[in-house]
Amino acid sequence: MTDWLYQTFGIHLTQTYFLKALIGGSIVACVCGVVGCLVILRRMAFLGDALSHAMIAGVVCGYLFMKLAFGIEANAPAMLIGSIIAAGITVALIGFVSKASRLKEDTVIGIMYCGIFALGIVILSIFQKHVHIDIMHFIMGDILGIGDSDMWLTVIVAVIVLTVIILFFRFFQITSFDPIMAASIGIPVLLFDYILTTCMSFVVVSAVSMVGVILSVGLLITPAATAYLLTDRLNRMMIIAAISGVTSVIGGLYLSVWLNAAGGVSIMLFCTLQFIAVLIFAPRYGLMADWLRRKRLVPQQLLEDILRSVHKLGGENVPISNIANSIKVELGKVKKAITSMISEGLLDKQNSQVTLTGKGQLHSKRMMRSHRLWESYLKHVGMEMEKIHDQAEQLEHIHDEETVDYIDDKLGHPTKDPHGEEIPEDFIHTPKGEIAPVSLLRTGRHAEIQRIKDNTIDIQLTPGEMISLGERQDNGATWVVIREDGEQIYLNHKQADAILVKTID
Amino acid sequence: MITESREVAAFSVKNLTVSYGPRPALLDVSVEVEQGQLIGVIGPNGSGKSTFIKSLLGFVKRDFGSIEILGQPIEKAKGMVAYVPQRGSVDWDYPITVEEVALMGRYGNIPWYKSASKEDKRIVKECLDMVRMSDFRKRQIGQLSGGQQQRVFMARALAQGADLLLLDEPFAGVDAATENAILDVLESAKAAGRTLVVVHHDLATAAEYFDKLLLIKQRLFAYGDPSAVLKEDLLSEVYEGELKVFATLKQNGHI
Repeated sequence: MTDWLYQTFGIHLTQTYFLKALIGGSIVACVCGVVGCLVILRRMAFLGDALSHAMIAGVVCGYLFMKLAFGIEANAPAMLIGSIIAAGITVALIGFVSKASRLKEDTVIGIMYCGIFALGIVILSIFQKHVHIDIMHFIMGDILGIGDSDMWLTVIVAVIVLTVIILFFRFFQITSFDPIMAASIGIPVLLFDYILTTCMSFVVVSAVSMVGVILSVGLLITPAATAYLLTDRLNRMMIIAAISGVTSVIGGLYLSVWLNAAGGVSIMLFCTLQFIAVLIFAPRYGLMADWLRRKRLVPQQLLEDILRSVHKLGGENVPISNIANSIKVELGKVKKAITSMISEGLLDKQNSQVTLTGKGQLHSKRMMRSHRLWESYLKHVGMEMEKIHDQAEQLEHIHDEETVDYIDDKLGHPTKDPHGEEIPEDFIHTPKGEIAPVSLLRTGRHAEIQRIKDNTIDIQLTPGEMISLGERQDNGATWVVIREDGEQIYLNHKQADAILVKTID
Repeated sequence: MITESREVAAFSVKNLTVSYGPRPALLDVSVEVEQGQLIGVIGPNGSGKSTFIKSLLGFVKRDFGSIEILGQPIEKAKGMVAYVPQRGSVDWDYPITVEEVALMGRYGNIPWYKSASKEDKRIVKECLDMVRMSDFRKRQIGQLSGGQQQRVFMARALAQGADLLLLDEPFAGVDAATENAILDVLESAKAAGRTLVVVHHDLATAAEYFDKLLLIKQRLFAYGDPSAVLKEDLLSEVYEGELKVFATLKQNGHI
C-alpha cells in the first residue's frame, strides 16, 4: 500500500523538474486566481486573452534587441520587459481605437490581439536565424521544463501583485462595484483601472511561461469562476480562487505524469473539471441545488388547495386522507406535497394528522382574503351569484400583493364578501407599528396620525394626534375616525386613503 | 463675513454646460438650492437629469460652468456628496453583502493603510438600523427585494455622513408599500438636516413627495414649489406630446 502510494505520488516529488513545476505552477495559479476574481467581475476576460497573445511580439522584440545590441542570447529580463511593453501597447491601442471609432470594444480587442500576435510570429520567422524561441513552447507552455529565470520572475510577480491587491483591496472592490461612488469620494478610479490592467499583464506573462498563450486566460478566469459559484464575498472568493488554482496545478501535474500528457493542458483540464464539478454541486448556485429547489416546489395550486382544506377541516390534527378526499387529489401526491410543506414550515405533522403552523395560518388567511376580495370583485363586475364561488376559486391563486391591493382599493376596501362573510383585514400593510392609510384599518384599531398625503383635501387632523376607528357607515363607504376627545370625523374613500397613520395595536 | 453654515446653499450651480457630443446634455444651468430640503428633479427621458446628478458628484467633465457644494468648489468637495445609484446600474450578482455595501460609505474616511475601525462599524450598524435592514446584514445583495436593495444603498449614503444626498430614481419599479418605506427614510434624513436631491419620473406623485422641484430638459426650466413648477404651459413645453402625463395630473387635481 505504502509502496503503491510512493510509486503513484511520492516518486515524482523526488524529481527536481516536477517539484519546480509544482511550486512555480502553484504560485502562478494562486496569483492568477486572485487577480482573476477582479477580471471576471469587471468582465475583462477577453482582454486577458488579448494580453497573452500580444506578448509574443514583445518577447521576440526583447530577445532581438538584446541579441543585436549586446549579443546576449535569450535574456529573460529583456523578454519580460518586452512583453510588458507589448501588453501596454495593446491596451492603449484597444482604448484608442474603441474610443475613436464606432466599433465596440470586444471587436477592437479581437482585431488588435490577432494582429499583434500575427506580427510577433512574422518577426520571429524573419529573424529565425537569430532568435531561438520554440514557438510550440510559447503556445502550449512548458511547465515541466521551467527554468530558474522563469521561477524568479514568477515569485517576483506574485509578491508584487499580491501585495498591491491586498493593500488596496477596498479600492479595487469599490471601483469594480460602483465606480461613480468611488470617484465621488475621491478615489482615482482611472488609476486603479491602470493598476489592475498592469497587474493582469504581469500575471498573464508569468502564466504564459507555465501553460502557454492559449491556456493562460483559463488559469486566470476558471478558478475565479469556480470561486464565484461558491461564495458571496469578494475576499473569500479570492481565497477560494487561489486554492482552486493551486489544487488544479497539483492535480493537473499528476494527471500529466500518469497519462504522459503535456503539463499545461493537464492543468487546464483538471481546472475545468473542478469547475464543472462545482457548477453541478455548488450548494447555492449549483445546477443540482437549482434542480432540487425546483423539484421540491409543489404546484402552487395544490399547495393552496391543501392549505384551504386543512383550514376548512378545523386547522388542527386533520387526517391526511380527509384532505385528499376533500380536494379530490390522489393520496400519494397529497402526501408528497405535505412533506414539502412541512419543510417549508407551513404545516406540522403528527401520526399522519396535520396542523397549520403560524406561517400556514397566515398563508391561508392570505388566500381567504384574496378569495373573498375576488368574489366581491366578480359581484362588482356583474357576475351571477351562483357562478361567483367557482370563478373566485380559480382567481384566488392570483394573490400577489399588488393585485390584492388594487382590487381592495378599487372596491373601496370592503369588509364583507357577497355572501356576507368577513373579509380578513389587510395584514401586510397594517400590522402594529406599520404606516398605512386609514382606509385599510378596521373598526377598533388605534393609530397615530403621520401625515396627510394630499394637501388639497381639507381635513382637521394634525400629525401626532391619536385616533381610533369606529364602525363604518353607508354600507362601508364612510369611514369614522374617533379623536381622543370623542369627536367623530367622517371620511370618504379618497380622504381615508390620503391619511397615513402609524398603527398602535 | 462669517456666515452661518445653515445659510450656505446646499449646492449652487452656475452656467453649467455638459456635453457628450455636439448636442449638450445640460446647457447653461444655474440654480441655488437651500439646505434641509427634499428636492425632486423631473423632466422627460433623456433630458439630462442623470447628467445633472453626476455633475454634482463631480463624475462628468464640465464643458463650462462652476459648481459649489456647501460653499466649497466641487473639486474640493470630495466625499461631501453621497450617491444612491439607479437600480439598473448595479451588478446585483456582485459577491458582496449588505453590511459590506454599507461599509463602503465609510471608505472615504478610512486611510488606505488601515482597516475599518470599531467606530466605522458602529456607524454602519446604526445606519442599517435606521433603514431597518440590520436583520439582513449577512445577505448577498441580489437576494433582497427591490425595496430592501434601495434601503441598503440609503444606509450606505447615510454612513457616508454627507449632508447632500443624491438619489437616481429610487422610486422606479417599487411597489406602493416600499415607496412609503423609502419616503420615510428620506423624510427622516431630511429631519436630520440633510438635503436630498432625487431624480423622479412620476409627475403624479412629484407634488406630494417633494418640497421643491427642479424641472430640467437640457436647460433648467423651473425651480421652486411644486405648485409653481407643475403648470400646464410649462409642462407642455417640456413634455411635448406626452399627453398621458396631463391626464393623470388633472385627474389628481394637481394642475
